[in-house]
Amino acid sequence: MPVTTFTAPSTNLRPRLLLNCGLAVVLALVLGYVLLRPHGPGGSAGAAVPQSTQLESRTGVRFSRVAVVGDGGLVTLSYVVLDAEKASAFQADREHPPRLASEARHGGTQRASIMRAGHQMRAGQTYYFVYENTGGAIESGEQVTISYDGLSLEHVPVL
Amino acid sequence: MRNLTHHLAQRRYAAALVAGTLALGSLTLGARAEAAPTSEGLECLTDAHNTFSLTARDGYVSTPDGNSIYMWGYGPSSGSFQLPGPVLCVTAGTHVRVILHNTLVEPTSIVFPGQSGVTADGKPAQPQLTDTGSMTSLTQSADATGGSVTYEFTAGSPGTYLYESGTDVAKQVQMGLYGALVVRPAGHPAQANDRSDSAFDPDHEYVFLLSEVDPDLHLGVERGDPVDVAHSTARYFMINGRSMPDTLAPNHASWLPNQPYGAMVHIKPYDAQTNPHPALIRYLNAGSVNYPFHPHGSDERVVTQDGSALAGSGGQDLSYLKYDLDVEPGQSLDALMDWRDVEQWDPATNPIPTQLPAIQDQLLVGPDTWFSESGYLGKKGSLPTNITANNECGEYYHVAHSHALQQATNYGATFGGMMTVFRIDPPAGCPTS
Ligand SMILES: [Cu+2]
Repeated sequence: MPVTTFTAPSTNLRPRLLLNCGLAVVLALVLGYVLLRPHGPGGSAGAAVPQSTQLESRTGVRFSRVAVVGDGGLVTLSYVVLDAEKASAFQADREHPPRLASEARHGGTQRASIMRAGHQMRAGQTYYFVYENTGGAIESGEQVTISYDGLSLEHVPVL
Repeated sequence: MRNLTHHLAQRRYAAALVAGTLALGSLTLGARAEAAPTSEGLECLTDAHNTFSLTARDGYVSTPDGNSIYMWGYGPSSGSFQLPGPVLCVTAGTHVRVILHNTLVEPTSIVFPGQSGVTADGKPAQPQLTDTGSMTSLTQSADATGGSVTYEFTAGSPGTYLYESGTDVAKQVQMGLYGALVVRPAGHPAQANDRSDSAFDPDHEYVFLLSEVDPDLHLGVERGDPVDVAHSTARYFMINGRSMPDTLAPNHASWLPNQPYGAMVHIKPYDAQTNPHPALIRYLNAGSVNYPFHPHGSDERVVTQDGSALAGSGGQDLSYLKYDLDVEPGQSLDALMDWRDVEQWDPATNPIPTQLPAIQDQLLVGPDTWFSESGYLGKKGSLPTNITANNECGEYYHVAHSHALQQATNYGATFGGMMTVFRIDPPAGCPTS
């Protein structure tokens, strides 16, 4: 698929840039984006999502949003790719998807539902998982801990 | 949906299997309290005097891959930019007035395809020509940056219609100037058309307004560059201005402030006593190509097309069951949809009498699929690791999407785009925790 544009992954960074999608350019843009962005990426509403340098360097992604959807039956976990190679490995690790756990109640969902990308991941782009929300384990308005490979990110707001 | 034949029911069930329902053991949930509400669906803009004030504005929408796209849209004048325009709901035969205010940098207008006798500022709405005879607009327009124009008409036959820009049409409609007009039958607001066999459950009414976006073109318009609409390439495909998985989010989701409408059908099985009426899905195509939209696991009964009830001259029922709803540009289809538990499968008393196919036989596309863990409605099972599991209480989720698979992507990333799910809860509903 021919790719002629690369667009900054946030409403916070304007104007959107039209660039030839060379890897160096993408990396430079992502780096600039990471340095410049005033808030968590992925939306203009809601509390900021905390970040973990450790988790980001392990996975190559930055988690950007957890939201209850599907009339309460589903949960989306969105993440921005920082390092395409690591992120592809992270996404392909089907046996060990990140776990979402409610911080308010016992339980959570380990039932990761992988909407697998049938394509090359690109730095700066946002991708997602859809989780089942068994028994309404995760609720909008609370905080969850995302854990992966022994690392965790606490106090992630659920939209 | 009436007269569902056994054959169709079997096909439906087979399709449900293919869509990703499978029994791998079962886990019966204990009784719980409250059932969760089903989705809010269609949000109508109504007015006691059928007077609607819309403002054409610019703004940004977000796509699930993190992009932010410059758009134009019609929003309520009292509100702000949104995509798509509000769903205007009126009753057939009533007088409708739509006042358009224009904040855009070029003239714009609204045409109401399917409505007759439309006036603009009191004069017949008609194409606007230059002195040399070239057309500038399909109808009278509102001047750039502050102009306004008032359209009036008498609402025509019941059904679903687009309203959209009549000025520089290919460009302005691509930019987002479109919305849905719902005309209800007089005296029968819970029918799709004047026929009593088009009755639906008003709590389960949905608009699926399908469209596409070429982000390069939008960037060009934002910068004021000349754009070549004829050579645009769509990268984003939307239902009600959202792409998967944002289609699953509720109306007015906080993270989609300018895209207020979700697109998830949420129903319970048909039951003659407790749930006799089908859902109604109103499909509209505001794009430039055919969108072959199809839900997995369920046919739908098309009852109205472009505001015409499907009936013969003698009143005979010409509605039809369809698995793949080809919604062509500018077209609307109103489809009744229900889900019938014909076989009443039960893991203990009425098990599915066949070897369920291996996972590899059930691929949606690629090595993963969507999976509700059990072939039995209301029952949960165990989960293979490479499977997309979407199951709160044993409910079914059937994927529904454009079968043109490039339209089911977010800028080429699979899956996304023109895709959502149809959720079917057990008869008692889905208990909340
Ligand atoms: Cu399909």
